[in-house]
Amino acid sequence: MSYAYFFGCVVPSRYPGVEFAVRWITGPEGLDLETKDISEFSCCPVPGIFYSTDRDTWLALAARNLCLAQRGKNEVMTICNGCFSSLLKATEYLDDPKTRGRTNKVLSKIDKKYIGIPEKMEGSNRRVFKPVSVRHFVDVIYRDVGLDAIKSKVTRPLEGMKVAVHYGCHYLRPTENTTIDDPNNPEKVDEIVRCLGAESVDYEDRLACCGAGGGVRSHVIELANSLTEEKFKNISNEEADVIVTPCPFCLLQFDNAQKAFTKRGIPVIHVAQLMAIAMGVDVKKLGLDLHNVSCYPLLAKIKGV
Amino acid sequence: MSEVEKVFISGLHEKLIEDKVIDESQLDPDFRKEIIKFGGKDVMTCLQCGNCTGVCPISLKIEYKTRTTIKYCQFGMKNATLSTRWVCATCYRCYEHCPADLNPAEVMIALRHIGIREGIIPPFVKRAASNLMGHGLTVRPDESILKEREKIGLPELPQSKPDWESVKEEVVTIIKTTKYDRLLGIRGDEDVSE
Repeated sequence: MSYAYFFGCVVPSRYPGVEFAVRWITGPEGLDLETKDISEFSCCPVPGIFYSTDRDTWLALAARNLCLAQRGKNEVMTICNGCFSSLLKATEYLDDPKTRGRTNKVLSKIDKKYIGIPEKMEGSNRRVFKPVSVRHFVDVIYRDVGLDAIKSKVTRPLEGMKVAVHYGCHYLRPTENTTIDDPNNPEKVDEIVRCLGAESVDYEDRLACCGAGGGVRSHVIELANSLTEEKFKNISNEEADVIVTPCPFCLLQFDNAQKAFTKRGIPVIHVAQLMAIAMGVDVKKLGLDLHNVSCYPLLAKIKGV
Repeated sequence: MSEVEKVFISGLHEKLIEDKVIDESQLDPDFRKEIIKFGGKDVMTCLQCGNCTGVCPISLKIEYKTRTTIKYCQFGMKNATLSTRWVCATCYRCYEHCPADLNPAEVMIALRHIGIREGIIPPFVKRAASNLMGHGLTVRPDESILKEREKIGLPELPQSKPDWESVKEEVVTIIKTTKYDRLLGIRGDEDVSE
């Protein structure tokens, strides 16, 4: 089964370097996974807006994306917590036959039908339909590839680098849907960071929200920034060199909010970018110039860049 | 101003609501049913323990307390919940700490559903929905990003290709079928520049 890239809205249009990093890591120069581009994917759609205002519309739009993955029996690989939670929640809604029927009625207007991916039952000729599997990039790297495989690819160990990991809410919660990591003490991104040779620093209230989600960033930006400021203070107390997150929306918030309250910003990058740096990518291709907080102090610390 | 009376809401927390006593005529007994209809659980199961407020990152910052909002919902005080609908960051911490398994975040989402249907629509919702109808995505790249993409050798964005028209058509068909455009009062071709 191959992975279908789901880049979402923020990455291709704001942080193309993250897209490059993901393509490079999963490509032949990196871990060489079987991947696929589905060009018809639309917005996931944004849970903070569509899930919050009309569930039927949200579900139909998400189911449309899932239908595209179902066609080629692909696993959806998201690199954003928002896309991940939106699509994953949609597969769970669609498990309910009544809801699925109602959604398929809408989808029939565009000649699509969500049924799931057929699989043969063991020891019988009957088929069962499994929901389209929605994965997070971190989960794919951690479980399907494994830390040993990554370690063997590291050519630029990030020794002496202090990394503050920000998980982002929808990577962890609600535990009703999301169970890829321990919600109270998540470790996967920290372990990836450590296997790249860097140090993952612990800081106060590290599972707190960045403040951007649920439409708060769009609605009352000062409120979102005040949450980010709190988190930023805790991170700078530990003198971290970089903030690493598996979510581009948290990345966007940290990257844009810092200018509102500090002159000495801490660079923020996606976990895929950090991995690509350690695995020896040409750093000019990571689009780091587009980040508001300069990443040069960070790059200066890495040997061999 | 007429004589002002204070009302006790949620334990010892004193709160002034619209400068007057709330009487029964202002309460909506079906409010909890409306919340259930839009995906929230029954607010009557709330124990008013306050865990949700304690873990809420927003409650620390502004005059918004999750527990109080749930209390308003229990009473059916629809108007009192109006101002707090769009500050929840949906971080779901309240859900993880709720002993009654109520999921306050989903209640806030149900309140947003109700607000939208009463015509209280924040402009950014319209903007995002309009972007989605007009472009198939909610975020559009500007020139500098397109240049950067070309420079680092990324493939052309699907939305810059002619095939994208069919994607847009499908998205618009879905939105029109669920009558979302009418709900928000958008056509999809508005000027959506920020």
